[in-house]
Amino acid sequence: MRCARRTSLNRLLLPVTVLVLATACSPPPASEINGEGKTVASVRAERRAFDGAPPTIPHTSFGMACVSCHNLEGVAVEGVGYAPPSPHDKTLGMSAVSRCQQCHVFAGTDQVSTGNKVANHTVASNTVASRPFVGNTFAGLRQDLRPGRRLHPHAPPTMPHKTLMRENCTACHAGPAAREEIRTSHPERPRCTQCHVSVETRSTFTVPAAISNPASPAPTGG
Amino acid sequence: MKRRDFLKVLSAAPGIAAFSCADRQEAERLAAEPDSISDADLSWQKAPCRYCGTGCGVEVGVHDGRVKAVRGDEASPVNRGLLCVKGYHLPAFLYGEDRLRYPMKRDGEGYTRISWDEALDLAAKKYQETLDQHGPEAVAIYGSGQWTVFDGYAATKWFRGGLRSNNVEPNARLCMASAVTGFMTQFQSDEPMGCYDDFEAGDDFVMWGNNMAEMHPVLFSRILESKRTKPGVRIIDIATRRTPTSDYADMYVEIIPGSDLALANGILHLLIANRQIDQQFIAENVIFKRGIEDLDEIGYGCYGEQAEHYTFKDKGRNASLAELETFLADYTPEKVSAITGVPTGQIHSLAKLYGDAGRGTVSLWCMGVNQHVRGTWMNNLITDLHLLTGKISKPGSGPFSLTGQPSACGTAREVGTLAHRLPADMVVTKEAHRAKAEEIWGLPEGTIPPKPGYHTMDMFRALMRGDVKTMWIQTTNPWVSIPNLHRIDRQQGPDGNFNDGRFIIVSDIYPTPTTAIADLVLPAAAWVEREGVFGNSERRTQQWNKMVEPPGEATEDAWQIVQVAKRMGMGHLFPWPDDNWHEPMYEEYRRFTVGHGKDVAAYTQLKETRGLRWPVVDGKETRYRYAAGHDPYVQKDQGVHFYKAKGYGEKAAFWLRPYHPPAEAPDDEYPFWLSTGRVLEHWHTGSMTRRVEQLHQAMPEAFVELNRADATELGVTHGDSVRLRTRRGSLELRAEIDGRGEPPRGSVFVPFFDESKLINRLTLDAMDNISKEPDYKKCAVRVERV
Repeated sequence: MRCARRTSLNRLLLPVTVLVLATACSPPPASEINGEGKTVASVRAERRAFDGAPPTIPHTSFGMACVSCHNLEGVAVEGVGYAPPSPHDKTLGMSAVSRCQQCHVFAGTDQVSTGNKVANHTVASNTVASRPFVGNTFAGLRQDLRPGRRLHPHAPPTMPHKTLMRENCTACHAGPAAREEIRTSHPERPRCTQCHVSVETRSTFTVPAAISNPASPAPTGG
Repeated sequence: MKRRDFLKVLSAAPGIAAFSCADRQEAERLAAEPDSISDADLSWQKAPCRYCGTGCGVEVGVHDGRVKAVRGDEASPVNRGLLCVKGYHLPAFLYGEDRLRYPMKRDGEGYTRISWDEALDLAAKKYQETLDQHGPEAVAIYGSGQWTVFDGYAATKWFRGGLRSNNVEPNARLCMASAVTGFMTQFQSDEPMGCYDDFEAGDDFVMWGNNMAEMHPVLFSRILESKRTKPGVRIIDIATRRTPTSDYADMYVEIIPGSDLALANGILHLLIANRQIDQQFIAENVIFKRGIEDLDEIGYGCYGEQAEHYTFKDKGRNASLAELETFLADYTPEKVSAITGVPTGQIHSLAKLYGDAGRGTVSLWCMGVNQHVRGTWMNNLITDLHLLTGKISKPGSGPFSLTGQPSACGTAREVGTLAHRLPADMVVTKEAHRAKAEEIWGLPEGTIPPKPGYHTMDMFRALMRGDVKTMWIQTTNPWVSIPNLHRIDRQQGPDGNFNDGRFIIVSDIYPTPTTAIADLVLPAAAWVEREGVFGNSERRTQQWNKMVEPPGEATEDAWQIVQVAKRMGMGHLFPWPDDNWHEPMYEEYRRFTVGHGKDVAAYTQLKETRGLRWPVVDGKETRYRYAAGHDPYVQKDQGVHFYKAKGYGEKAAFWLRPYHPPAEAPDDEYPFWLSTGRVLEHWHTGSMTRRVEQLHQAMPEAFVELNRADATELGVTHGDSVRLRTRRGSLELRAEIDGRGEPPRGSVFVPFFDESKLINRLTLDAMDNISKEPDYKKCAVRVERV
């Protein structure tokens, strides 16, 4: 199986391609995947409560404005990785997103997060002591890794996701932070939606038949 | 991007190429899985967010009986697809491992699982015993602004029409009661005239003690977007500490706690001195009133006899514009500057801003103004600024009070679950109002008692005294949220039971410090585990369907109330079939509202829309109340008509209100101000948001914000433990210095979400004289290095 496609990558991406080919497609050495054998998809999933939730911030707070690295093009930060640009470009009426932490929180890697390990702190007989996180069984929607559909082999694929909060396509589909299989072969053409359309699903207001109003629950005994 | 940068990236992340290979294999594997579900496989339905009063629309994705995802509802006019971090992580709050699943009875130190029949029989028996032995004033029910319309309506109907007791209260008393009394004293009808459309229509946004960036983030985003696209839009942040809101403010006005009363009067003084008032508007639409102003007579509700019963009643008399001028002579910029600490230049700027007839001005406030020993006065003064300048009931101008809970407006205010209220602005003290409720409820004349029940603070005091014997608490967590918690410590006997003659029932979805003192714990269904209706800050009523089953045997709060009522022989109050009672119950409630300018939308219409703003007449919502061309109850061609204020000749009342100092101020022994509040990541007492991993990790525990200079003087650095001590209690917290909030010298801030660090053991139970809402924002504290 060939993993790295050699299509019309533009010249800027050439060095990447060379390295991609160099590493070829044998199972990746564990050390190269965060030391834990994780795929990019699983790393991506770990940073989200479900597909569609804003990712948590995987690094510590640097005490800088987010946009100093997550700027229009993104920046490589030595020892950390590539800070991608923001994909939020022009969400209707909501594009003032300099308040990044309104939606993105640190993933428990900064100093604040050590708080759940503090010793029990009883303040009164009627209160419960400080305790670790109680656990949660929420199983969120996984990322749908199936690609967009093509009407015929030469047709442009449709977008398999909505565009809300993802107006800046190049944030994820171009540049060094872009995953190879969703990286565009033609970053020089910025009007993506000219050829690729979004498959927007809309909610309906129908009530699933299985759900009814609660009847009186049957007594179950003590 | 330069070639050099690319190479740097590759050296920093050597795994990039390998990732994509493994990832492709993963993609192929997952795509081949038969149970692989995608966005389109989920069943999506609309609902309002569960948390704050903004009322963002979300689409809820369900698969196989579980909520798997939410997304911002692009069709919702409130948020247009955006959510905040709490909203994006919404579904996880349903799935904390310690959800309450079964009814449980206290049994010594622990609890025993019982059946619903036993639980409901026990609740009914305790209510009946208390009624028989001690009368209707000894029973109580305490809910919240998170009660759906159904829960609140069932509670108020059962109590007032069945038990014949007005001891119905919501925690909204701690939250926006001062806004209710503010609007009622001025317009004789509750809730704002404007709506969220003002965020795009307005020019100047004046935030009075309101950290909107953290507390109403999505609405703040709308203002920021308006600022970005419309040059000249300004944000004014009047506050006692720097917050993320201040970062975006064009002017930051730092005031000494409690001095907002003086600042507002100072602005009024200058508006009159500069003749920047709308004479014609005042002549046509405004009357002047003045109430009791004697500090000794009013008090603070927490000292002397008032510490048991606080029943102060304001008495209004007519005043005039001339009297106002004399009254305001005391509030020159120099004198106001001395009280508030605000430079005179800023007072002049604020007066210029309010006085500029060419710009729309929106005043925004929430807890800073409402949780205030003179919160009603402060509400009055903000609205006064708009009445004097005629900047009210028009797009882009008006006093807009924000709410903190999802149905503070819909349930606490509109259904009327405060001790003195009935639905649609009616009160139990008026015979005609009681008669109307009795008629709709099909009850004999004289059923509803005319005396208001206890307000929340007195209700808990009565419970601890033993005057209230049986109390049911739903959808709220008072053993974290009541100020000066020492006063409601419930002592266990040697056997672990509370042998104090009281019986406390608590319905909730998780164990909390409140369920820990309960005699009977009932598991509740939450959010989309049941059908519901909420009403948000802009008068928008929003409905959602039941989408998943609740865990275990959990049931919805309204259902629990109806079952207990039925067991007490009060089934006639809830005559609807078990499998279809939501719509008929709502439609009965709607009868109170129709024809009174409070008309909520029909249920069928609510089901099909993203909510509608009342009054809804002929299926059409109202964006601006009292405004000609907008409000169908206004007959005039232009201008405004305050038609609800029958007692004021259908005009709005401008109240003259003086400055009074806070109940407790720093002194030598306790030299700091203590203010409390929320943080972006957690909602209220954290019982829901602290079960969401992402939110908990981001904000795992409470802290104390200290000014850097104060910290240096105390020898404390960021992260050190410090002890706070007030006259009521002490608490150890981690110091936060130069964090997201920055209090000025001599003051500290502590959030209240953390049940293991109860800041309300330190706060003072002083309260507003009219609304009886406690002041969580001002007391004196000492800071000690540990």
